[in-house]
Amino acid sequence: MFDILHNYWELLLMGQYPHGALGGLAITLILSLLGLGLAFPVSILLALARISPMAIFRVPATMLVYTIRGIPLIMVIFWVYFFLPLLIGRTITGFTTMLCTLVIYQSAYLCEVIRAGIEALPKGQLEASRALGLGYFRTLRFVILPQALYNMMPSMISQFVSTIKETSLGYVINVPELTFAANQVNNQLLTQPLAVFSLLALIYFVLCFSFTELADYIERRITRKRAGRARKNSGNATGGLPFVTLPATAASKENS
Amino acid sequence: MIIFSDVNKWYGNYHALVNVSAQVKRGEVVVVCGPSGSGKSTLIRTVNRLEDIQQGQIAFDGQDVNASGLDLNKFRTRVGFVFQQFNLFPHLSVLENIILSPTRVNGLKRAAAREKAMGLLERVGLSSKADAYPGQLSGGQQQRVAIARALAMDPPAMLFDEPTSALDPEMVGEVLNVMKSLAREGMTMMCVTHEMGFAREVADQVWFMDAGTILEKAAPEKFFSRPEHPRAQRFLSDLRSH
Repeated sequence: MFDILHNYWELLLMGQYPHGALGGLAITLILSLLGLGLAFPVSILLALARISPMAIFRVPATMLVYTIRGIPLIMVIFWVYFFLPLLIGRTITGFTTMLCTLVIYQSAYLCEVIRAGIEALPKGQLEASRALGLGYFRTLRFVILPQALYNMMPSMISQFVSTIKETSLGYVINVPELTFAANQVNNQLLTQPLAVFSLLALIYFVLCFSFTELADYIERRITRKRAGRARKNSGNATGGLPFVTLPATAASKENS
Repeated sequence: MIIFSDVNKWYGNYHALVNVSAQVKRGEVVVVCGPSGSGKSTLIRTVNRLEDIQQGQIAFDGQDVNASGLDLNKFRTRVGFVFQQFNLFPHLSVLENIILSPTRVNGLKRAAAREKAMGLLERVGLSSKADAYPGQLSGGQQQRVAIARALAMDPPAMLFDEPTSALDPEMVGEVLNVMKSLAREGMTMMCVTHEMGFAREVADQVWFMDAGTILEKAAPEKFFSRPEHPRAQRFLSDLRSH
């Protein structure tokens, strides 16, 4: 297995680059990051539409989210792969296809995470902000989203981990990502599929495990911070407000 | 200053406010009391339109609150509102809580807003806590910050919706003291509260509400010694009996 890593690490890491297209792990990571990065603003808009009192926003957004969550990712890949070129009248690369797919698919899931984050905030936060004269968008920007997104950070990292794994499906439309690269290695070696695909699994595992650990770490930190705050106050002095603050740097400065 | 004229509000079929007509004069302190579910909180929340009304009219400082052309956000900066649950923004420091509305809605420069906020914090006795976060403060301190936050826009009147009901008993006093000093400075105030001592001491009028109507309006000394309405008599004797 380590022989394979030793001989083919460049292919696995970055595909044919610099003699050809970039691929391998590099493309897997770029796809995941871009996918989540682009899905993020879309999912905020979707989440706002989902909780909107106006049916004209809420109904289509809800239908979209339910549809996408109800079909396998590979169906979305096929749709984008076959229909998007028809729609825009020109062919698109596998990379773009996969990126569009991930943005569509991840937006639907991330939207639900963000919606949960917003709905978990006490109603008083919204009311206080509105009572101070902040309009809908200012309330979102300065009061609701900073709290909701911070609280939801662990879930969003988990979502990122799923995105990493989902990029492997790009294999079916010839996106030269990590799984594709591993398959190329397997085709060259022919006799060691077990070793090649074990190596592939290991790389995915290390990658995803690191991010899962990061999510756990952040979650523990948020929990610890809340507990710390609760201990400092005698009893239930905060009246049920969530003990959310800015990251530790800002908070610990105050404590010292 | 605040005039309710024949105000009616329904939640579905439930008639929450029934023909409420009353007036808070400039510089007056009005305490609204009554059993829970009587509509006191609903009434006070209609003044800055946290609740809409279906019938009647409410005027605040000469402004029809439900006028269609009203710039609601601008209007709300002029109504100081203090909540039962404080509702400070936990991700912002005390100072940032106070300057949020002045800087973001009224476009005040940060430095000027800061200076003003520090003055307000001094007034509520919390200048040392400017950089603390709400989670680090006691309930009483949080509510005092919430009062400072509401004062930051120089509102002509302040509304208090059960400001001490979520507090531990030993913290009620510090909040009431801030409210009393506000009252003495001549602030127009409408307070929903169960603190009858506060009502006795600083209120100009007590409104007793039940089932969505104001059953009795009286000066505190009269209301507490000789309440007219039987429901008010029962309410007061229930309060005293324990």
